[in-house]
Amino acid sequence: MELLSNLALGFNTATSASNLFYCFAGVFLGTFIGVLPGVGPLAAVAMLLPVSFYLEPTTALVMLAGVYYGAEYGGSIASILLNIPGTPSSSVTCIDGYPMAQQGRAGIALFATSVASFFGGVFGVIVMVLLAPRLAEFALLFQPAEYFSVMVLGLIAASIVSSSGVLRGLMMVCLGILLGTIGVDVNSGDARFTAGIPELRDGVSLVVVAMGLFGISEVMVSLRGATQSYAGQSVRGRDIFPTRAEWRKSFLPALRGSAIGSFFGTLPGTGQTVASFVGYALEKKISRNKAQFGNGAIEGVVVPESANNAAAQTAFIPTLTLGIPGSTTMALMLGALMIHGITPGPRLISDHPDLFWGLVVSFLFGNFFLLVLNIPLIGLWVRLLRVPHYYLYPTVIMMICVGVYGISNSLTDVWATLAFGLIGYFLRLFHFEPAPMLIGFVLGPMMEEFFRRAMLLSRGDPMVFLERPGSAALLGIGALLLCATALPLKSILQRLMPRT
Amino acid sequence: MQHKSIMSQIGPLIMLAAGLAFVFGAVASLDLGSFRRMGSGAFPLLVGGLLSFLAAIGLVQNLRNPMNTKKGDPIAVVGVVGGVASFAFLTPFFGVLPATAIAVFATGSAIPGFRWPFRIALAVGVAIGVWLIFVRGLGMPFVAIKGF
Repeated sequence: MELLSNLALGFNTATSASNLFYCFAGVFLGTFIGVLPGVGPLAAVAMLLPVSFYLEPTTALVMLAGVYYGAEYGGSIASILLNIPGTPSSSVTCIDGYPMAQQGRAGIALFATSVASFFGGVFGVIVMVLLAPRLAEFALLFQPAEYFSVMVLGLIAASIVSSSGVLRGLMMVCLGILLGTIGVDVNSGDARFTAGIPELRDGVSLVVVAMGLFGISEVMVSLRGATQSYAGQSVRGRDIFPTRAEWRKSFLPALRGSAIGSFFGTLPGTGQTVASFVGYALEKKISRNKAQFGNGAIEGVVVPESANNAAAQTAFIPTLTLGIPGSTTMALMLGALMIHGITPGPRLISDHPDLFWGLVVSFLFGNFFLLVLNIPLIGLWVRLLRVPHYYLYPTVIMMICVGVYGISNSLTDVWATLAFGLIGYFLRLFHFEPAPMLIGFVLGPMMEEFFRRAMLLSRGDPMVFLERPGSAALLGIGALLLCATALPLKSILQRLMPRT
Repeated sequence: MQHKSIMSQIGPLIMLAAGLAFVFGAVASLDLGSFRRMGSGAFPLLVGGLLSFLAAIGLVQNLRNPMNTKKGDPIAVVGVVGGVASFAFLTPFFGVLPATAIAVFATGSAIPGFRWPFRIALAVGVAIGVWLIFVRGLGMPFVAIKGF
């Protein structure tokens, strides 16, 4: 009964004219950006972050979430038509999507992708509705030591999945945490590492860091290759519908993909990419149709797409209920909430029920928009791929500059964004991926707060982190994860998926 | 080989320098407090120390197994820096829209084969887009064109 009244509240919030409009705009923009290879959901959310400051918190999050899962869906279009993954998680879709396109079945692959994404998205929302309130209730039992440990676990997970290796990932996390300490200390009022610059007293802005690391540096990497455009094949409206046999073959894989995606989405640090890889590998193992995988099996498109969209939804569970972002994009969402004065955590659902339930219901609308938007617009996305990319990058740079400037009419912020862009670019040259740094930057201040509180409550005994069972278990899992990186995971994955 | 080995150490060295800078900053100018009541410098000291330790491991690892650094593209960097710097320099003098147009033109200059008539068209198009989205749509309090 309580669930129904909560959903009714969410429905009321999500169906307000502004929320519906921004949900649609977010999904559309996200798909638009996701279609373009190289610009993923992270850059899309980072670019639109300043715009969200002019909106109500719920509307802002509804729009950013729409951008996020719209970009995840959009990434699959370039994967299928060009064999170029628009996002990391859609790289699995290339394996069977591209052969389908080569066989003249691109329309069917794109249609199946839309339906599978919708299916996975709705499945993920249902899991979120059932699981998030329970997890929040459980997390109310947490003390500062457990909070600190859960953050340590999240940061270790973020370092492990970093493509630059666990050691470099950990270094970037530490650097992010240290950047987060710049500014006035909330407990003592001391100015820390501000070098006498008054602008730094409020700390380094999340928008500046995100835009610099993921916007400016990304353009620096891609700008000179912007002469290319892609000549994907055209798709006719009547060629997009799967046959009845293909529908039948797709249902159970979509269900399995959604379940796997929902599980992996809730784990900090793993996210959609792992979900889609594991979903694909498992489906291939259990399928009677193994030989067809890699040669245009429709299940090979349906599973990763349903998995990554389900994971995109359930990734909100730890973000909103524990305040632990499961991925870098989620860290940005978390930052956006905090800028609006809302602290994510176990009390979010009870303190801001309209925000939480409105967001949940807006996911359903967003996924529905994705479905109805993308089936008729498949031809438009295909044409978009043919536009030369040199129109794109200067435009992105300007959106970043104007967006950053617009937040507080400060050109200092624009210069700082440029500085972070250069830092991000040079770090990439030395194989330091910036994503873990952003997660460290967002979690750092909260982590410090809980660490200091835990030490105060334990009268200065650091053993509190090991004596409390919950905290010890979380730290133990973190240690196990670190040890697991010593295992030859690459060769295990290759054994699971020899042809990929 | 020698060059590769030196280049691969730059990343961990930067991290080591950053870690030590925070450690020294915390020790020299902040209150460390006690275990029970930690001061404002305690946490940066711990994390800075951890970063320095990890960077030291990275240095040793790189000595054994030097890693190739990626090749940078100075023209792309100059193009982007030029675009952003033009925007930041010109906005106070001319307003956001002219600065936007000039910055788009400057960034586009770094792209091979992007001919100037198309660059001008894009510069004007983006300036109009900025006006529509940020000024008209979101009502941001910009000086669109100085003097108007």
